[in-house]
Amino acid sequence: MNESVLFFFEVLVGGLLSGTMYSLVALGFVLIYKASSTFNFAQGAMVFFAVLSFCGFMEYGMPFGVAFFAVVLLMILVGLLTERLVLRPLMNQSEDTVLMATIGLGFVLEGLAQAKWGVEVRKLSLGIGDFPIPWIADNLKLFISALDLTAGLVAFVMIALLTLLFKYTKIGLGLRAVADDPGAASSIGIPLKHIMLLVWSAAGVVALVAGMMWGARAGVQFALIELALKALPVLIIGGFSSIPGAIVGGLLVGAVEKVLEVYIGPYFKGGIEAWAPYMLSILFLLYRPEGLFGEKIIRRV
Amino acid sequence: MGTSSENILEIKNIEVAYNKVILALHDVSLTVPKGKIVALLGANGAGKSTTLKSISTMLASERGEVTKGTINYDGMEIKKQNPSEMVGLGMVQVLEGRRCFGHLTVEENIISGAYSRKLSRGDLNAEVEKIYGYFKRLKERRKSQAGFTSGGEQQMIAVARAMMAKPKMLLLDEPSMGLAPQLVAEIFHIVKELNEKEGVSILLAEQNTNVALRNADYGYIIETGNVMLEGSAKDLLNNEKVKELYLGISKGKRLNFKDAIRDSQRKKDDAEKKPH
Repeated sequence: MNESVLFFFEVLVGGLLSGTMYSLVALGFVLIYKASSTFNFAQGAMVFFAVLSFCGFMEYGMPFGVAFFAVVLLMILVGLLTERLVLRPLMNQSEDTVLMATIGLGFVLEGLAQAKWGVEVRKLSLGIGDFPIPWIADNLKLFISALDLTAGLVAFVMIALLTLLFKYTKIGLGLRAVADDPGAASSIGIPLKHIMLLVWSAAGVVALVAGMMWGARAGVQFALIELALKALPVLIIGGFSSIPGAIVGGLLVGAVEKVLEVYIGPYFKGGIEAWAPYMLSILFLLYRPEGLFGEKIIRRV
Repeated sequence: MGTSSENILEIKNIEVAYNKVILALHDVSLTVPKGKIVALLGANGAGKSTTLKSISTMLASERGEVTKGTINYDGMEIKKQNPSEMVGLGMVQVLEGRRCFGHLTVEENIISGAYSRKLSRGDLNAEVEKIYGYFKRLKERRKSQAGFTSGGEQQMIAVARAMMAKPKMLLLDEPSMGLAPQLVAEIFHIVKELNEKEGVSILLAEQNTNVALRNADYGYIIETGNVMLEGSAKDLLNNEKVKELYLGISKGKRLNFKDAIRDSQRKKDDAEKKPH
């Protein structure tokens, strides 16, 4: 194959795979958006909180699996407390009020995490290197990072599990009902608090996984919170309420930013990776505000 | 009016305020006997929906509160319960404006009504089939997205969904709203059938006085938060005041649309004849 074509594919595949990391973060936002129609500003802090706690538990000498399980329980506890202390008192308030509360919750979580575990950047090793897989490099002449590939697979598995949960379980049906009309859902006896607890816990677990992937690449540090906000263009492009949207949006953002960086970046003296996704999302806001997969608002006239 | 064991619902002199200041109900008392259909009639803003919501405890979600009086349902006082507890006790409200889950299929909407019950797959399917027996139209549309069904079908979905919770008592808020007369008749027919065959007691709020009274056993007319008149459905249909104010029939001649248009045309002609 031609050198330049091969190079393009390498950039594209690298972009797509790093895009799955965005998808993972975006997934957490989608879960909460579905249940409460609120953009959860605390999601970035949850990512940070979860993975920092994971590192902390490992430092206490817990084995990998035990630490993972402990953080899953911790994130369920966070979900429980959030439902009880933040969401329940704000029930029946406007979505904006809840939005503001999530900003506050974000500060609390990042403060707690740093108070307990300190502020220094930690290295997280998952035993998967961030270097090209030799077999693929030799046979296909493509340089693809093992970490990227793992993140892609993990994202795929999480998404498949969540989709099955929503589509085929009773609580999933309850969640979709609440997403459509919380008032009507409570009128037929669907308990909102259980649904809230479920989505916040699930978002917590997704935050942990996303944090581990990002942490392994960039180090476990405060900057993870800002990285998580890259999910915003992902969600605008994919659609706030759609799980497939989070995936495709993530892939698209990942691929577009890498391809643009490599081919157009030099004309702008580089660094366009940082703002290209936002430009793309502005185009979407103008021409397709519900995103690629967002649920169109169905209204009878 | 019998003793309380014959009544599934007894409301005594309730007063309801929103945001602690806006008084929506002043003094409402009503009774629903077991297995009967009772109609709550009145114009927009009379307090029909508020009455229903104070029974189903949906009021709290709109910052409303029962400030005086008592509500007794099935032998217990309703006070601090929440809507999902009320569903557990067999009281389900069908909200005004149908409120289907638009992105769910018709069948998913119906199944969601059984959320509060623990049913095996087989039992659930049997229940859904039974409900389709009443709502034949919905069976044909079971796989469609509920948001794309017609208004009448959505009203049927809302009632079918509520029935899946196996209620002892159903509160219907304006089932006729925005529907063609033929569909209204069809829906009331089903409601009556559910009442007779499933033994569910029904309290329905309606603006369509005529249809409501023809299907109900007893009726209450409320205005600005007070019960103005009550009686058996038959008596109310023949009551002169009700005829004049709510059924559009005045003493002697019928005041219909044709007369009304002729009246206004005459006035217009008179105005034009006047010299400027």
